[in-house]
Amino acid sequence: MNSKALYRDFPTLDRKIHGKKLIYLDNAATTLKPKVVVESLKDLYYLHYSNVHRGIHTLASEATDLLEDARRKIANFLNASPEETIFTSGSTLSLNTIAHSLVKSGILREDSKVLVTTVEHHANFVPWQRLSKIYNYKLLYARPTGRMGTILIEDFEKFIKEEPDVVAVTGASNVTGQRLPIKRIREMFEKSILVVDGAQLVPHTKVNVKELDLDFLVFSGHKMLGPTGIGILYGKKEFLEKMEPFLYGGEMIDKVTLENTTFNILPYKFEAGTPNLAGVVGLAKAIEYLENIGMNELENHIKELTDYAINELMNLDFVELYGPLDETQYGIISFNLDGVHPHDVAHFLDESFGIAIRTGHHCAQPLMLELSSKSRLDFPNATCRASFYVYNTKEDVDALVEGLKNVKRWLG
Amino acid sequence: MMDLYSEIIVDYAKLKKYKKRMDDADTVREGVNLSCGDEIKLYVKVRDGKMESLSFEGKGCIVSQASTNLMIERVLGESLENIHEILENVKRMVKGEEYDKNLLKNVSIMENIRSYPNRVKCFMLAWRTLEDALKELNRG
Repeated sequence: MNSKALYRDFPTLDRKIHGKKLIYLDNAATTLKPKVVVESLKDLYYLHYSNVHRGIHTLASEATDLLEDARRKIANFLNASPEETIFTSGSTLSLNTIAHSLVKSGILREDSKVLVTTVEHHANFVPWQRLSKIYNYKLLYARPTGRMGTILIEDFEKFIKEEPDVVAVTGASNVTGQRLPIKRIREMFEKSILVVDGAQLVPHTKVNVKELDLDFLVFSGHKMLGPTGIGILYGKKEFLEKMEPFLYGGEMIDKVTLENTTFNILPYKFEAGTPNLAGVVGLAKAIEYLENIGMNELENHIKELTDYAINELMNLDFVELYGPLDETQYGIISFNLDGVHPHDVAHFLDESFGIAIRTGHHCAQPLMLELSSKSRLDFPNATCRASFYVYNTKEDVDALVEGLKNVKRWLG
Repeated sequence: MMDLYSEIIVDYAKLKKYKKRMDDADTVREGVNLSCGDEIKLYVKVRDGKMESLSFEGKGCIVSQASTNLMIERVLGESLENIHEILENVKRMVKGEEYDKNLLKNVSIMENIRSYPNRVKCFMLAWRTLEDALKELNRG
């Protein structure tokens, strides 16, 4: 893949940071936006913008068509049907909607069990944990016994006999970059409702919800070149139909009397309030852009960069690497420098080299505890994280490695 | 490179002198930087209205560690009244306002922190924790 040819599509990459060319390695937090996505928003707002569904006039009808066309495109991308493809503000709202709706509908109740992992992002951990305290269902934790925060098959196997009602797992860890074996997990927990947090998975690979037999899949648009504030909740129709909406309001209503309310059909039942039309249109455009590149090409490119970076970083004896470091690690590398706090690493890389990485606990504090117990360093309860996307190159990795050597020399 | 990582600041960050438990502290106060998870435990002992003893445990970035050591060095032996004045001047320094450089002494080697808004929390962790500890002692 020729990533350099894509540079002209991303004006942010022309920016200088402290006089240096920007090297953007914070893609797991959010990606840069290509011109076509930003232009699609401009077109929408300048030419076709109106509120959807209710209006009779031309603009309302155009806006509605744009929304529903985009829904079809996004549904196709997932091999889902449009009525199972619900717009939300992002993965966080999607996951909260699923968890809250399951308890409100009584599908999850006092004697139920929910299995989560301790490598989850807080968004797929805290809702299940908090609701378990209110609704008294049991929370089970699959803990990573593999290399530095890596989850193994046997970490799940020990819970098969528990027959959890819900299994909520990440498709790929936002800290270690490990892709979880979703297919195996599905086979192991045939009867469980399987919720997959796809925030770090869907941007990197084609996820076919039918083939994987997922009950729920969530992801965010902004991590795959789309705008901020748009995300998807895919849910199997058989569940969505049984479930009580999480949010009530406009659009999701069928009929309201003083005594009662009935709900709109799917997917609108779960889309209370004025939808984020611009977000939806921008996300569909981002997906179109990615499909033009080819999801397979993209996946191979990211894997190649990841392997290259792992190899280069392994040569640095002052770097401790987290995660599996094998064929299951995609797009994300977490590490620490012996004797240098991650904040100082990130600050130095930015100021001296224009390199953007992320540091902190990455909204995964339970995983930080796991890493802390395995680290040979005085673990700072945080890591440095470099993450790649379509426009990154091996030169970016080389710059990172050079930068880290300098950090160590100055601050180590 | 770099206002924030000058040799003297890095040396202050690595100082071991004040990094220890204190068994007979009047109060032990914990502070957390929510944005990065850095934690500090401050041991405070006040006698006759003066800061007799002050030490800390915890880990963090160079900015937070240097700031903590500079703070302890500066406020040890000072009256609580003076410490209050120092605290107010530190806040002014961080905001880029005028402050009394003579009063802050060595602490002012980090005055450039004002140019790095996303590191101010690292810098202020120890100072806020000290302020909380003194408030607690005042109440108690």
